[in-house]
Amino acid sequence: MESPITQNYRLEFFGKGSDYFAIMIVNWLLTLVTLGLYYPWARAKRLRYIYGQTALNDERFHFAGTGKEMFRGFIKLILFYIAIIACYILILKMVNSPLLAILFLYLAIFAIIPFAIHGSFRYKMSKTSYRGIRFGYRGNRNELVKNFFKWFLLTIVTLGFYGAWLEMNIRRYTHQNIRYGDVEFSNQANGGDYFILNFKGYILTLITLGIYAFWWQCDIFNYYIDNMAMVKGEQKIKCYSTATGGGFFSLLVVNALITVFTLGFGKAWADMRTQKFICENIKMEGDINIDEINQTEEEYTNAFGEDAMDFFEIDLA
Amino acid sequence: MNKTIEAKYFDGHSSASQQIIIAFNDTMNEFRLQVADGISFLWQLEDLQFEQYGSLLELRNANYSGAVLKIDNKDFSQQFYEMMKQDRRLDIHSRLLNLGFSKITAIAFCFFCLMVLGYFYVLPPVAERLVVLLPASFDNEIGDIFMETFLNEHDVDTVKTRYLEKFASNLNLKNAKPLRFTVVKSNELNAFALPNGHIVVYTAILDSMNSSDELVALLGHEVSHVNNRHSTKMLCRNLAGYMVISLIFSDINGVMAVLTDNAQQLQSLSYSRTFEQEADEQGLKIIIDNHVDPNGMVKLFDQLEKENDISIPQIISSHPSTEDRKENLQKIISQTVYEVKPNDNLTSIFESLKN
Repeated sequence: MESPITQNYRLEFFGKGSDYFAIMIVNWLLTLVTLGLYYPWARAKRLRYIYGQTALNDERFHFAGTGKEMFRGFIKLILFYIAIIACYILILKMVNSPLLAILFLYLAIFAIIPFAIHGSFRYKMSKTSYRGIRFGYRGNRNELVKNFFKWFLLTIVTLGFYGAWLEMNIRRYTHQNIRYGDVEFSNQANGGDYFILNFKGYILTLITLGIYAFWWQCDIFNYYIDNMAMVKGEQKIKCYSTATGGGFFSLLVVNALITVFTLGFGKAWADMRTQKFICENIKMEGDINIDEINQTEEEYTNAFGEDAMDFFEIDLA
Repeated sequence: MNKTIEAKYFDGHSSASQQIIIAFNDTMNEFRLQVADGISFLWQLEDLQFEQYGSLLELRNANYSGAVLKIDNKDFSQQFYEMMKQDRRLDIHSRLLNLGFSKITAIAFCFFCLMVLGYFYVLPPVAERLVVLLPASFDNEIGDIFMETFLNEHDVDTVKTRYLEKFASNLNLKNAKPLRFTVVKSNELNAFALPNGHIVVYTAILDSMNSSDELVALLGHEVSHVNNRHSTKMLCRNLAGYMVISLIFSDINGVMAVLTDNAQQLQSLSYSRTFEQEADEQGLKIIIDNHVDPNGMVKLFDQLEKENDISIPQIISSHPSTEDRKENLQKIISQTVYEVKPNDNLTSIFESLKN
């Protein structure tokens, strides 16, 4: 058996602002004319473009999610939302306690978060493919829900300090359960490191009157990426970031300028710059042969969780 | 099957890329994939999904889970796309994209202008008309909900409230629904009417008044807001406005948010110019019919204007200019025949209210 060769992998983004802008404009038009009903299809178009313009070693990724699937998830979500609001009004009327009703509302919306995270990962991963091989998510829903509430309770008890652990624990759990065919993802992020990183970032940002914020942002990004790896048997790919605070500075400042001076219309170009920046700064090195990966993950078409994440604007990057 | 072309093929079982030959004819309704010596299968056009990236065409087959065919050939890619177009196999999104960047942008721009025009000129009257469809119980309910939270945060002056009720009972306010009155202790120069007929007057505005005529004017004005359902109309207008704006920005969450948390804003509702004018004129009529001096309303505005720099009171909200409103009132008063009868009863209650 030949010894594995260490190689590096090239992640690229080809998306162009003008193309993306055209897609967004058509999305906007159709969403408007359909009084919002087109929204899931618009989202599918947008995601499909971004995935399709991302390439690893010259092969493009593919997002197979459809508007129809996301529309179904959207309908389920709306029904769920109406049910919650109905309960809220019922409590308001029956018990006549606004406090209790609002508490219920927050709890209900809050309780859906771990389910949404699980569903979103399952749907999005299953719909992502590369070289004909699907990604997948093997996390256990009940385990995630149980842990989520445990971690969240700890966050409340510690007056928010445990928040860093909560965030990293969720990240580690979800990422460790991502598969790309028979390649397993691994993630070493932990709350302690993340807490120190944020603590340092917060203090320095205060001292430098906000200027350090870009470097703080960069540290977070680097921490995310540097803790990611992929494993296949004995073989491994390690990820590392080459992003710098200066890089983040010019990315975010120029993006803000583009967006402001075009009255928001330049956001399409800014978004493309961000994607390009991310892809260009994620480097990978290892000995997994991307020609020898086998299909293992099944298809999953329930987009409820994915829609819920979008609806409540939860972004786990 | 008279043409062949080279393609890259991923079979959906392994990530290995295979160089294969595909054969097709001019109608492009099926493709034969020559995977290896002697092994081939047929992909029907109707099973195919495609993505186009410049000269690169990616084909996926619903019956071959995961499999991808990648053909990097400009002519082929173009020919295939034309076929799909002729077959009307492109969705509406792709067809619009086909129009090209400048045309889409132009259409979008025209649409945007139409929306803006609609927002300012079509939406308000339509939303107001729709209020007729809402039952009166709706007005009462949102008024009650608002009052409940309002009373939790404000101190009611029970003595003055009783005097104000007594004051109002001496007037014919031509109210369309039963009225309730509350005086709250506050330094703010403010008074407002809720759609459920609840009129709230702040102590500061009472203190600023010099005569009972002004109080009659204030009540007449507020009652007219209630009678014409101005709050409900404005609420519907704002609601519809927010929804259209959320829609313009494709912010679906925004549409939902508007529905859930809009009832809390009754107090800060500023009426439109027409609504204020309507309330002024009908209020004036109430004053005259009660044989009270209509100049009380002008004096009320004078008082409020004088103390304007302390806080901007609701009933002279900056929206319609107070000057214009005063002028309008003076014009009407000069054209109206009215008779003022001294009312000692009102005066004495007003004196008690002031203390």
